Amino acid sequence: MNIVTRLAAAAAVAIGIAAPAAAQDWVPRKPVSVVVHTGPGAGSDVFARAVINIIDKEKLAPVRFVVVNKTGGGSTNAINFTTSKDGDDYTLAVYASNWTTDYLVQKDATNSLQGLTPIANLIFEPALIMVRADSPFKSLKDFIDSAKAAPNMRKQAGGTPLGRDAMLRHVLVANTGAQWPLISFPGGGERISALLGGHVDTLVLDGSEIGDFIESGKLRALAQVADKRVESFPADVPTIRESGYDIPIPLQPRGVMGPPNMSKPAAEYYRNLLARLVETPSWKQYVREARLESSFIAAGDLAAFLEKFGDSTKSALKSANIEVVR
Amino acid sequence: MDAIYGLMHGFGVALMPANLMWCFVGCFLGTIIGIIPGLGPSATIAILLPMTFNMDPTGGIIMLAGIYYGAKYGGSTTSILLKMPGEASSVISCLDGYEMARKGRPGPALGIAAISSFIAGTVGVVLLSFLAPPIAAFALSFSSPEYFALMVMGLSLVVLLAGDDVLKTLLALLVGLWLASIGTDLFTAQARFTFGQSALLGGIEFMSLAIGVFAIAEILLSVEAREKVEMLKIPKGLRNLLPSREELKACRFAFFNGSVTGFIIGVLPGAGSTIASFVSYGIEKAVSRHPERFGTGVPEGLAAPEGANNADTGGALLPLLTLGIPGGSSTAILMSALILWGVKPGPLLMTQQPDIFWGLVASMYVGNIALLIMNLPLIGVFTHILRIPLYVLYPIILGVAIVGAYSVSGNMVDVGILVGFGLMGYGMQKLGFPTSPLILGFVLGDAMERALRQSLSMSNGDPTILVARPISAVLFVMAAVILLSPLLRRAFAKRNLAAASAPHS
Repeated sequence: MNIVTRLAAAAAVAIGIAAPAAAQDWVPRKPVSVVVHTGPGAGSDVFARAVINIIDKEKLAPVRFVVVNKTGGGSTNAINFTTSKDGDDYTLAVYASNWTTDYLVQKDATNSLQGLTPIANLIFEPALIMVRADSPFKSLKDFIDSAKAAPNMRKQAGGTPLGRDAMLRHVLVANTGAQWPLISFPGGGERISALLGGHVDTLVLDGSEIGDFIESGKLRALAQVADKRVESFPADVPTIRESGYDIPIPLQPRGVMGPPNMSKPAAEYYRNLLARLVETPSWKQYVREARLESSFIAAGDLAAFLEKFGDSTKSALKSANIEVVR
Repeated sequence: MDAIYGLMHGFGVALMPANLMWCFVGCFLGTIIGIIPGLGPSATIAILLPMTFNMDPTGGIIMLAGIYYGAKYGGSTTSILLKMPGEASSVISCLDGYEMARKGRPGPALGIAAISSFIAGTVGVVLLSFLAPPIAAFALSFSSPEYFALMVMGLSLVVLLAGDDVLKTLLALLVGLWLASIGTDLFTAQARFTFGQSALLGGIEFMSLAIGVFAIAEILLSVEAREKVEMLKIPKGLRNLLPSREELKACRFAFFNGSVTGFIIGVLPGAGSTIASFVSYGIEKAVSRHPERFGTGVPEGLAAPEGANNADTGGALLPLLTLGIPGGSSTAILMSALILWGVKPGPLLMTQQPDIFWGLVASMYVGNIALLIMNLPLIGVFTHILRIPLYVLYPIILGVAIVGAYSVSGNMVDVGILVGFGLMGYGMQKLGFPTSPLILGFVLGDAMERALRQSLSMSNGDPTILVARPISAVLFVMAAVILLSPLLRRAFAKRNLAAASAPHS
């Protein structure tokens, strides 16, 4: 009897302590889905898997994270799927710049990035404007002057007209009066082959795509697509602004959102998880090797950032005469 | 010769017990997922990626590559036995492979697929070992006009796939081209023919189309004709499990054609093994002495595409390993695996990390032998599938097809699309429309449209860019020859007939 009461009392105390703790410290109890808009092997998919790999390696979470590839319509199917998971604490999504752009341009896209629960931005991906090593263009100015003198004779390889690389072209064309077409290729491999084969004059390569093309002497960088020089890029390559073009630099942000109405404790848990993630040595090593820039922006700040990002994207699209439907 | 030293070093790496084991594991997994429709190599590699992070990169890439080429061995099994392609690159193998099985030669059909896969797979690796740098340079000389010409040549093969009715063939082809245009347009980022369905934004999944038009339609036709359907008779004995000498002899050119066509198309980024398998089938039919018998179960009609999709592997790895350029989704995920291990695939890989480059290349020789040894005994097991009564087998096929269609995207709309295509395939057969031009149009349509638009934006709208370049001009001439080949053949036949009857008159 005595023991029973004592046990009961102890249990009551334990529950009493545990209950408020559970409300604050939500912890996932089953695998978490991570939605990406690309197929396996492409930008966001690779990024999501790298992040999950670091979470596993550093043992930051008690459950597994599983990548779910929702391709189609750029980011539209992925946003629609995430939105449909309203209130779910076990779904996350990795966004990229096109999660903002597609919504502005596609009539069929009805769900916006802003409708999701902001968790945290993780990186900005800097890029390099590249030419073949034997190209006559030694600087960004050489290329733009040439494109001005012979309109539409210089070519840039890219993907959709809404990608970050294409946005940079739109902004440069609108601000310099030069004119050159963007030739669309579906995959990064095809774009780089077109440049290596000399079928186009230039392209913009994200940090993670650069590999050893510069070291091996196949390609040369004209300018850094970043506000200030990036540590992991060749030190002698100037930024676009340093090259004499004072334009707003289109960003490639990557980060994590939750579905609409994700519970507050869950969202807070994921924010803490990612805040711890970006402090780990594995993350720092990854950021250096993949030539990224770590940029942790959480919650309310992220919402404000995405708002601003949407506005600058809109004006870039308008300057390129691309129809903005919203 | 550098390549020989490299290769010797590579065999030293590949034959280490751990790496040998990873090679077998990869090949075995590849064979299994090749057999399962809907689960492709790129998805499997992505799923297994986290497990390989703590592995040595050499062992890891050997295993993941084993999955990639092993899947192409497995892909033909269900094409042959059930007319249900396991992989996109084995769709065309349904035509003659399934007919061979229906004629009571399922074992030899599986044997020919395995042998052709082995020969072409090995030729692909030999070319990768010894000719990598010059072929990489050749691949880069291919630009959009050349791709367009290549697709036109592929499309001209439709004449050879044609049934008796040219009008019906062209209609089927046009529907295939139209289906390929559904989805988000790359050039404008706008939706085309999606009818407000967001599930269609990503376009139509090729496997839903192929499984619907082939497997589902086949079941519907068989069910309707149930009084006539008899259990397939499977002759017993080893002699009837393996291809006969005549059958192998008929495939001599197909082994060569599959190897070369598959490798060349594999090297080109963005073309892929499905296109390679279609083109090699077309070439095989174009040079055949009895093209009219294609589609009725001729062994060379199976050997050519099955060889091509395996030679494609060596080709596709070439730009990845020598230039750091992934040509398709499977090679893209292999590349991201290398990067996650801290290995940079690129022009310096061969010299800076010879263990990985030559170890992988050597492991593919080993892997192809392992796959042949693994697959030949399995023939006896697989042919037993055909002994299952149809009332048990058909529901299983339907179930597997539906799960396969669902698992590609995780979307029920794709199951609806699969059923829709099943009904369409059934209707087409009933009305005498050939289905292979539809599939061909779908496979080539997207790449062809893209290449045309790229070419025209490169030339600022001047169409002469398409024919003014030497490689594309040659390809156009080949297309013209293929288009005219039935006429030429008839003219020759007439002249021969005239010559033969001349002395008598």
